[in-house]
Amino acid sequence: MFSAIDISTSALVAQRIRMTAISGNLANLSTTHNEAGELAPYQKRHVVFETDESIGRGGAAGVRVASILVDDSPPRLKWDPGHPDAIREGPNAGYVAYPAIDMMTEFTDALAVARAYEANLGAIEVAKDLVQQTLRILI
Amino acid sequence: MFEAIVQSTSIPVLEQVVRFSQARHTVLAGNLANLHTPGYRVRDISVEDFQTRLREAIEARRTSSAAPPRGAGSTAGLAENSPGLTENWPALTGILPETGKHAIPEKPGVPLAEVARQSQSIVYHDDSNIAAEQQITEMVKNQLQHNMAVALLASQFRLLQTAISERV
Repeated sequence: MFSAIDISTSALVAQRIRMTAISGNLANLSTTHNEAGELAPYQKRHVVFETDESIGRGGAAGVRVASILVDDSPPRLKWDPGHPDAIREGPNAGYVAYPAIDMMTEFTDALAVARAYEANLGAIEVAKDLVQQTLRILI
Repeated sequence: MFEAIVQSTSIPVLEQVVRFSQARHTVLAGNLANLHTPGYRVRDISVEDFQTRLREAIEARRTSSAAPPRGAGSTAGLAENSPGLTENWPALTGILPETGKHAIPEKPGVPLAEVARQSQSIVYHDDSNIAAEQQITEMVKNQLQHNMAVALLASQFRLLQTAISERV
């Protein structure tokens, strides 16, 4: 019975990691430099889940983060020749390369994470109720 | 002797129901945990299969208990007439279809069964076929079944208690 709680907890952890990635994507919406200080727009992070058979017994499976992928789609170009990070030469001269992050996509993903988190919390509540009801036999 | 008394009540049956619904809850929790896992297919333990086997075990117990004649004041017959349930349990845990194809049995003439079956086979763009609402509904139904069995179990024990103490 406790493996059900473990399974739901694995989902809570995985969803929270995904939420962290979404927060990071939103925070770096306009980041044009990388951590080394070089001119490189931030690349969006995707969290990929996979089933974790080691948690549950009898066919039930938990979930874990398989990998965090870095999005290599081309940056969003914005015309701003006065910006210090504007591209100097080439066909895109005068444009600033911003991360290819769509705010609406991130927000809808965040909503999906919140709902999944709630659903798993509900599953934990049900598991707790099952255990408590079973203990009622003793009374 | 006490074992014989317990076996003559519905306690073994209810125990299997409780064990089954706890195992099924774990599987359903696994489905919800994998709500956003690409390629995940819904898993379930077949309720139909469980009920069929439970019915068979109960009938086996009933026929075997009817066979040996019970002497007056002897409980020997009771002790031997409980072959089915606990022995059948290992077989019950084996019912684990890897996909959700047994989740809703295909029965001709059952209204809405066809609709439910078709909605089960919908695969989303991430190659997963899990519908959160369906899983939550199944989980709640499973919870109610579990709590019903526990309540009946508690009342069975109360009846035994009353009989033992000879007081109401």
